[in-house]
Amino acid sequence: MTAYIVRRLFATLPVMAVVALFVFFLLRFAPGDPAAIIAGDDATAESIAAVRAKLGLDRPVVEQFLLWLWGLMQGDMGVSIFSNLPVTRLIAQRLEPTVALTLSTLFVALALAIPAGVLAAWKARKLVDRIVMGFAVLGFAMPVFVLAYILVYIFAVLPMRTDWWPLPGLPVQGYRPIAEGLWPFVESLILPSVALGITYMALIARITRASMLEVLQQDYIRTANAKGLATDRVLLLHALKNAAVPIVTVIGIGIALLISGVVITETVFNIPGLGRLTVDAVLKRDYPIVQGLILVFAAAKVLVNLLIDISYAFLDPRIRY
Amino acid sequence: MSAILEVRDLRTQFDTLDGVVRAVDGVSFDLARGETLGIVGESGCGKSVTALSILRLIPPETGRIAAGSSIRFEGEELTGLSEQEMKRLRGHRISMIFQEPMTSLNPVLTVGTQIAENVTRHLGLPKKAALARAVEMLDLVRIADPGRRVYEYPHQLSGGMRQRVMIAMALSCDPQVLIADEPTTALDVTVQAQILDLMLELKEKTGTAIVLITHDLGVVAETTQRVVVMYAGRKVEEAPVEALFDNPLHPYTRGLMRAIPRLDVEADAAGTRPRLQEIPGLVPLLTRPIIGCAFAARCELATDRCRTTPPPFVDAGGGHIVACWEAKP
Ligand SMILES: Nc1ncnc2c1ncn2[C@@H]1O[C@H](COP(=O)(O)OP(=O)(O)OP(=O)(O)O)[C@@H](O)[C@H]1O
Ligand SMILES: [Mg+2]
Repeated sequence: MTAYIVRRLFATLPVMAVVALFVFFLLRFAPGDPAAIIAGDDATAESIAAVRAKLGLDRPVVEQFLLWLWGLMQGDMGVSIFSNLPVTRLIAQRLEPTVALTLSTLFVALALAIPAGVLAAWKARKLVDRIVMGFAVLGFAMPVFVLAYILVYIFAVLPMRTDWWPLPGLPVQGYRPIAEGLWPFVESLILPSVALGITYMALIARITRASMLEVLQQDYIRTANAKGLATDRVLLLHALKNAAVPIVTVIGIGIALLISGVVITETVFNIPGLGRLTVDAVLKRDYPIVQGLILVFAAAKVLVNLLIDISYAFLDPRIRY
Repeated sequence: MSAILEVRDLRTQFDTLDGVVRAVDGVSFDLARGETLGIVGESGCGKSVTALSILRLIPPETGRIAAGSSIRFEGEELTGLSEQEMKRLRGHRISMIFQEPMTSLNPVLTVGTQIAENVTRHLGLPKKAALARAVEMLDLVRIADPGRRVYEYPHQLSGGMRQRVMIAMALSCDPQVLIADEPTTALDVTVQAQILDLMLELKEKTGTAIVLITHDLGVVAETTQRVVVMYAGRKVEEAPVEALFDNPLHPYTRGLMRAIPRLDVEADAAGTRPRLQEIPGLVPLLTRPIIGCAFAARCELATDRCRTTPPPFVDAGGGHIVACWEAKP
């Protein structure tokens, strides 16, 4: 097992190298010129060229790439074209809100979607099932930003503007670091997590139901029932453990979904995380930041995949490496 | 000695797209304490449904035990018990073994866990003691090195060993009744014999009464004391095992006996034994009410009366009864 993990970790290196290569060259071929943006609207060709020379953008692309790669290997992602700050520091500063948002979304989504899916499968074709699946279809169809604005309206606009509205107001702007206290931190994450998590939740509830339905047909579930085991043990141990592999797979795929959703959610709720950093950097063609961010996101996905693969072995003893 | 299990007029039905399937249609029998009762019949005649009905494991979405059916266990009516009360009986006082050892064990739990959870559930033993009990049970069903095997998963065991595990599990709480639904059908012949011997031996030890469901009359002859013959959801004949083999009364039972492969008949030059004689015709559709005798359409002796009026049970003496107009007890 340990050997497998080490092997897999080494196998991520070529993957990351390919990602780095793609990121670098795709960005260079994308339209837009950071030098022109820095130089301003009324810049002359010479002043733009001067800026470009200062940024090193006038050198051959391959040379730029090798320089960047050399830096990467020493943990240096370069400096921002605009602010001159090291990219690693910029990313580190913005990491906490994004990690907090992603983890809380994951937590909320899994804590609601898996029980809902199990319940729906257990009570298949009954009312609870219909309700859960109804929500799942709705949640899946709802774009993140639409839901985000609906939530803002319900939890911020209405509580402020009217006195008959029963629901409490929740923060819809900004992010409070956990260092400022647990409740402000949690409170600031509730709405963004719901907005971000709803699609994900729908996805997981559906796969949980489908996978459970199939497992509940199996002979060993009949055996478990013939032993007179309590329903929760049959459902949550005998059935769910067998149903887990496809669920975990979808959880992994869904994390990719989450990462793209983070960008939108952070923008709507004004959270100073990596998503916002990405949007700003892309708009300004701040190549080093964009490159660094994409590498970080890619590394996160690779890591998640690895975790998922490892978890299979724990869920199903028949899987061996 | 009073019966431990009394089944009266059991009717179990399923709703299907083709209509209501009368899978079991008025079956009655008794099981005495410590007895081995065989239930035989062709595929689809309702043996498994009978077994599942006794444990009330008929899927409630599509099936039900019809009103008027009675299943008494130690004098207590099971059809009226709540699901919670049934859960306390299942696996504890009445256990069941299924046909498919390959799929009847949970692939992601160790066999130790699967035996121990039964013990914990019904006897309230703490985890450690329950696992010790699991080791003891594996030893009892003669699995070598039980202390190691408890930590293994079903895919690490052969089919015969899995069925032993099923037996260990079923007997782990000393049930009064064990229902074995074709426990050896999926196994190869030598293993079959071992498993049957094991069941009988354990029965001697524990005094558990067994309902042995099979379509193999050879198995019935070797292991049971009394036999119920089923056809199309109904009981057609019941007798002590010797009486049934000496003097089968129902034409269907006789047909079944002609279908037993006989080892004592010499193979011919080509190395084949005489072909089994199958009963001609098909099992009637269970979606339509059967008027008269269910077997009439396939029976050589059938008369008009057979096709219109269901035959009552006739007592041939010595506990041998048969439902046939033409049988001459
Ligand atoms: N869940 C169900 N829904 C609909 N029909 C069913 C269901 N279970 C059983 N049946 C029907 O009930 C009848 C009896 O089935 P059963 O499984 O008891 O047969 P069996 O005697 O055990 O046969 P086998 O020897 O093949 O195991 C069959 O016609 C079957 O199609
Ligand atoms: Mg069957």
